[in-house]
Amino acid sequence: MKIDRRSFLGLGLGVAAGVAVSPATWKLMDDSSIWTQNWPWTPVPRDGEVSFDNTVCSLCSGHCGISVRKIAGRPVKIEGREDYPVNQGGVCLHGISGLQYLYDPARVKYPMVKKDGTWTKVGWEEAVSLVASKLGDLRAAGTPDALACISGKEQGTIPGLFKRLLMASGSQNFFTMESMENTWDITMSRLHGINASPGYDLQNCDYILSFGCGFIEGWGSQVNNFLVNSSRKERNACFVQIECRLSNTAASSDMWVPAQPGTEADLALGICGVMVAEKLYDADYVKNFSRGFDEFVKILKESYTLEKVASTTGLEKSKIQAIARSFAKAKAPIAISGRGKGLSAGSSKEFAAIHALNCLAGNINKKGGVWTLPKTDDMQWPALEMDGLATKGYALKPVDDSKSVAGMFAKVNASKEPVVSALMVYEANPCFSLHDAKAVQEAVKKIPFVVSFSSYMDDTAKLADVILPSHMYLERSEDICGSPGMVQKVVGLSQPIVEPLFDTKNPGDAVIMIAKAMDGTIAESFPWDSYEACLESVAGDLWSTLTQEGFSVQEGDVPTDKPPVDFSFLAQNSQSITAEGDKKSFPLILVPIDNVRLAAGAVASSPFAVKTVADNVLKTNSSFVEINPETADDMDLSHGDDVIITTPRGSAEVKVNVNEGIMPGVAAMAAGLGRSAQENIYVDGKGVNVNELIGQVMDAASGLDAAWGIRAKISKA
Amino acid sequence: MDSALIPKGAKRCPFPVFAAGLSIVGVVLLWGVFAMGLCWLKGLNQTNMNDNYGFALWIWADLAVIAVGGGAFFTGLLKYVFGIDELKNIINLAVVVGFICYSSALLILAIDIGQPLRGWFIFWHANVHSMLTEVAFCLSLYFSVLTIEFIPLILENRQIDKVPFFHNLSHNMHGAMAVFAATGAFLSCFHQGSLGGVAGVLYGRPFAYREGLLVWPWTFFLFTWSAAAYGPCFTLMITKIFEGITGKKLVKDNVVHLLAKISGWMITTYIIAKIIDTIYWMGVTAPSMGFSVMDFYTSNAFYGIWILILEVIVCGIVPAVLLITKRYRENPKLLLLAIVLGVIGVCLNRWVMVLQVMAIPVMSFDQWALYLPSWQEVATTILPVAYGIILISLAYRYLPMFPQEQELYSEK
Amino acid sequence: MTQQNHGNVHKFGMVIDLDKCTGCGSCMVACMSENNVPFKEDETNKLDSITWMRVYKITNGKSFPDTEVCYIPRPCMHCGGKGDHGHSPCVSVCPAVATDYGHDTGIVSQIYTRCFGCRYCMAACPYHARYFNWWDPKWPEGMEEYLSPDVSPRMRGVVEKCSFCYHRYQAARDKMYHEEREIMEEDEYQTACTQACPAGAIIFGDLNNPEHEVHKLVKPDPHHCGRPKNPNAFRLLERLQTNPKVYYISSREWVRKAGDNYLEGEWEKAKKNGHGKGHN
Ligand SMILES: Nc1nc2c(c(=O)[nH]1)N[C@H]1C(S)=C(S)[C@@H](COP(=O)(O)OP(=O)(O)OC[C@H]3O[C@@H](n4cnc5c(=O)[nH]c(N)nc54)[C@H](O)[C@@H]3O)O[C@H]1N2
Ligand SMILES: Nc1nc2c(c(=O)[nH]1)N[C@H]1C(S)=C(S)[C@@H](COP(=O)(O)OP(=O)(O)OC[C@H]3O[C@@H](n4cnc5c(=O)[nH]c(N)nc54)[C@H](O)[C@@H]3O)O[C@H]1N2
Ligand code: SF4
Ligand code: SF4
Ligand code: SF4
Ligand code: SF4
Ligand code: SF4
Ligand SMILES: [Mo]
Repeated sequence: MKIDRRSFLGLGLGVAAGVAVSPATWKLMDDSSIWTQNWPWTPVPRDGEVSFDNTVCSLCSGHCGISVRKIAGRPVKIEGREDYPVNQGGVCLHGISGLQYLYDPARVKYPMVKKDGTWTKVGWEEAVSLVASKLGDLRAAGTPDALACISGKEQGTIPGLFKRLLMASGSQNFFTMESMENTWDITMSRLHGINASPGYDLQNCDYILSFGCGFIEGWGSQVNNFLVNSSRKERNACFVQIECRLSNTAASSDMWVPAQPGTEADLALGICGVMVAEKLYDADYVKNFSRGFDEFVKILKESYTLEKVASTTGLEKSKIQAIARSFAKAKAPIAISGRGKGLSAGSSKEFAAIHALNCLAGNINKKGGVWTLPKTDDMQWPALEMDGLATKGYALKPVDDSKSVAGMFAKVNASKEPVVSALMVYEANPCFSLHDAKAVQEAVKKIPFVVSFSSYMDDTAKLADVILPSHMYLERSEDICGSPGMVQKVVGLSQPIVEPLFDTKNPGDAVIMIAKAMDGTIAESFPWDSYEACLESVAGDLWSTLTQEGFSVQEGDVPTDKPPVDFSFLAQNSQSITAEGDKKSFPLILVPIDNVRLAAGAVASSPFAVKTVADNVLKTNSSFVEINPETADDMDLSHGDDVIITTPRGSAEVKVNVNEGIMPGVAAMAAGLGRSAQENIYVDGKGVNVNELIGQVMDAASGLDAAWGIRAKISKA
Repeated sequence: MDSALIPKGAKRCPFPVFAAGLSIVGVVLLWGVFAMGLCWLKGLNQTNMNDNYGFALWIWADLAVIAVGGGAFFTGLLKYVFGIDELKNIINLAVVVGFICYSSALLILAIDIGQPLRGWFIFWHANVHSMLTEVAFCLSLYFSVLTIEFIPLILENRQIDKVPFFHNLSHNMHGAMAVFAATGAFLSCFHQGSLGGVAGVLYGRPFAYREGLLVWPWTFFLFTWSAAAYGPCFTLMITKIFEGITGKKLVKDNVVHLLAKISGWMITTYIIAKIIDTIYWMGVTAPSMGFSVMDFYTSNAFYGIWILILEVIVCGIVPAVLLITKRYRENPKLLLLAIVLGVIGVCLNRWVMVLQVMAIPVMSFDQWALYLPSWQEVATTILPVAYGIILISLAYRYLPMFPQEQELYSEK
Repeated sequence: MTQQNHGNVHKFGMVIDLDKCTGCGSCMVACMSENNVPFKEDETNKLDSITWMRVYKITNGKSFPDTEVCYIPRPCMHCGGKGDHGHSPCVSVCPAVATDYGHDTGIVSQIYTRCFGCRYCMAACPYHARYFNWWDPKWPEGMEEYLSPDVSPRMRGVVEKCSFCYHRYQAARDKMYHEEREIMEEDEYQTACTQACPAGAIIFGDLNNPEHEVHKLVKPDPHHCGRPKNPNAFRLLERLQTNPKVYYISSREWVRKAGDNYLEGEWEKAKKNGHGKGHN
């Protein structure tokens, strides 16, 4: 066939028309769009039956009750448990993100041993016997007390098992990460001479005077605080926040009182002074139940006159008087202590001065007041066997007399001899969350054998020699004790709501395994087959309530006793804790900010939480330093500038965040950033760890680290 | 080499020179195609657009090419509907430019949407209340009309014309062209208008929002009017560029001056309307929403009040005066200045009506957002320019685009 | 306000008590978790970070120590549009009806499989409530396991936004039908952010139902498209006539003023006649 021009054209037109009318074209169009609606790389979640499981959130010490929504057994959402006494349905953003912790890319998936600097996967048997033999070696060398343990918390059966292991093997060196709770308890014993923790009846009080507490950011029992805060209007209650920066708590308060940072003790004593001078205190209570009051008054009159306090705190005299009068005249005023989330111990003088306000107001062990809650352990542990070595070791003093973790690490760094030869770390991340974090890392490196029980690869686990990974909280049973500051005593039962994803263990089981791998009395002291069995037997009467309700609550009845007050500690008028560094080279004061959307403790923030953080806190991988526009002007800086912040402890590159809501002369940086692990790209490696810039300042009276900031300077990068 | 294809009597540069020129542009084209491929394969994360700048460079480019392509419909309207016959000497160019502009606009839209394979939903699941639906329908229909207007010109190629069928087809299509041109003008009026409506209906965006007539905001009419007014400037600008590059006179002065004069009067009327609109908007519309004019301009370099002065005075009043005044219009330099300012003016207007709308905070506590396009956006925006240069060069070389070309030769 | 629907006409809305809101961000995360919102390595560019609920922080502009801060949580406003007829700014412009106004609920839907990603709706929304999926959603290995089947994860190239947790409405409605009831109780349909807010700052319910808390709190004026009669309540950008169904309550005047734009002196005047709502 000859293809002439005409037939060619005909063919062309024919093809065009054919394509246009052919159903294939339209079908292809339709199919391609349907394909975009079903892209195989966009997940389609499986459907199934809905169920709910209750457990307890233990991401922070708030310990909220949570309900996990599941689809065909697969957890999909965490919500607050409506009937839980702590949170009544509310949950913080970290709690809601719980499932991101379950599937966290930083999960340690199996036991690991570090060999020549690299991690090797090992079986549980091997890892446990390695740990047991190292601990055995210490005992064999006659130094059972060279074993130390750091636990994130004090209460509960899992910390109890660790404590028991140390005791059975002969060491006093069980430490808990220090927090404001330590200093609260110290205050109770100093001022009232009792072994108790304070409970704040916030629901029923009508005036809260907060000395820098991150009431909203995570102080005490966060979600409970929210309930207190929200019901303020109906209860006709007032909240006053003393803080050098307009935090979320300050923003939601009725009155924000920006006092110079570090002068909280002075302010509290100044207010005491006004109360005494104007006879606004509960004279009956003070007269009948106190010691050292006259000396205290003398000190107030000498050293804490209105003029003096006004000048140290930078507040107007009239303002201090006004606060004193409104506090004293309130029906049920409470003064609360503990900076930010309360993750550091704080100054014992400051805490005592603040508690003195409660005493002067006579609002102790009353409805809407501060309650002295005796410290009791409801768990019924069987007797413990200690062999001679253990008895001898246990009789020795702990590495740090005050049982301060910070102090312990300082000693490790200071001494040539290894004062700690083996360290176990459970639910704590001292290499990240202690002040002077760099020095802590050095100390950890110096300790010959470090065992981490972390579920995640974190700053401390990274430096360990062995990791015995724990089930994360949604995978395990555990008794969850107490919510700090609350008057009710709530014990919750954490229950596994999902099969463990990886080759991990309940840390309680890991401890029992270690003990059983050791000989004699140590193994004998751990008679249980499993942690579950241990928990059930130790919980005793509580067990049935816990399993049926998921929690047990001792409804706080107002304690009936009137504890006496001993003002003599305050009458000693010890030095206030000042910021390290000289004013000349370091003209600014750097304080850490506890950001409500960042987890600052052992557990890192979740990807969701990091996502909610403002772009003037974190931008790409940069942290910010917040300064007042006045300070910025003085230094010729503007918002977003790259600067170097330097303190006596170190320096870091950050960006400037110009904020009206911060006191001139103060610089502030968010805590919780700058995690050094690299496993979780959504969280790790972002920003700067402010704890590396702030040094430790030991409180002579408590022996705990009371640093609240440090002097600093800023220069252009 | 390719002389058999070149219009009879026309002088064109040697093929290798032509090919070399084309291949340089071809490289730019390939760069654009590469960027386009990235956008389609990897998605719009290849751009610097964001949730504040949902509309950005591309939408501006769309609006701008369609505005300047407005020369096609308006010249067609003048020639076929109003019977201004001299314009037949520039209508071919107007049609080719229009074709390029509209095909480019469609291409850019196909890159701009997040789900290109679902693009046809706009027709199938059309929401008649949406200005964008109106745009899509009119744009595609008018593109078909332009294609039909373009075909006879292609058929006039020396070789194709030899085929009797094509010869006759071309002849018959020419006969029917008035109908198409009229349809095209109508459609074009609509979609130019609906493009104006795209911003004007946004009652959540006080900078863009305008009252109007029935369902159409004033920007609807202003866009149509400005495209008609400034479009011919672009047609003339292309003519001047051609004449500059080829060093030949291609369109007679009387034709150029006529189109320039018409454009001048159109710009004059447009700019009066625009000024009235601006004053009403400043004095009534925006204040009723709680905004004063200066809320819409900032001290940053991007969106200062200069932009309004530049658009309305420098690129509006100035070209209008230059073009309606015989003395200025017939001065080649001032004419060139006027048409260039005109083209800038209309492009700036589209820029403002797209990007400034996105930049301005509406909630009292919101912030200005700034945006710089990514290279992928720039490359894909230059892509149609490169494609346009290639197509128009081919058309110039092989098609009788300028009917007066030979006459002007002989004059020389 | 009248609606021409047959059957039960709801007008779901939200009231956020800014006196109670602490800026904690639980609502943001509750929403992300409930609605399978993805996250990526860097979320610090807030202009490409998908947060159906976003908590804005605003200040009174005064310098230290008179500075005050207020947090404003911003979900989609589910605008009723001019005249409250359902021509929301976004719905009226979507060329493909991929976002629509539910006349039975007052909820502005978003249909991801219909959306072709032109982003015109984003240009239309003055609240920045709409987010584009610039990237394919990706979860770290294994984490897809937590995705909820109630809300389909969105593919790259489409727009998404707060749905007032529409799937929860559907579930409540199904239950109601199943139990052959005519009335949906207030607590049967609550959004995830409302449920999570530890401060109890978010209240959700049917604005058409005088028994519901939302109605009692703001007292919507039926003659003015639901404008609040409570003097402490306001809606964002009331003057644009978008007619949001999200209301805010604040006892602070500067906060209420920040809810809209006013020319100099207008706020004072507006305060005198009416209660600072501007004109409409
Ligand atoms: N604005 C708006 N309009 C809508 C809809 C919407 O959601 N919003 N929905 C649309 C839909 S899905 C539908 S199905 C239609 C329904 O629209 P319609 O069919 O108009 O529905 P109704 O208003 O329920 O009923 C119509 C009339 O029937 C009367 N009627 C009831 N029982 C009987 C009977 O036994 N015999 C007779 N002869 N009359 C009876 C009722 O009193 C009422 O006056 O509306 C459509 N229109
Ligand atoms: N009491 C009472 N009950 C009734 C009736 C009555 O008269 N009285 N009428 C009945 C009748 S006839 C009908 S038709 C039904 C109507 O009731 P519904 O089935 O509830 O239908 P709509 O009223 O259209 O609301 C559907 C919702 O879906 C959203 N939507 C729109 N398009 C899409 C989509 O593509 N995907 C998704 N996921 N959502 C979308 C809309 O925003 C809207 O909110 O009500 C029935 N129920
Ligand atoms: S406050 Fe603490 S315990 Fe409660 S949900 Fe948040 S992280 Fe969990
Ligand atoms: S959860 Fe509640 S308190 Fe927290 S930011 Fe959201 S609305 Fe405010
Ligand atoms: S807030 Fe924005 S997205 Fe939501 S309905 Fe209103 S205009 Fe639409
Ligand atoms: S982006 Fe989607 S929802 Fe928005 S207007 Fe376009 S098609 Fe409609
Ligand atoms: S109503 Fe639902 S979708 Fe909307 S912000 Fe709240 S949780 Fe998110
Ligand atoms: Mo229906």
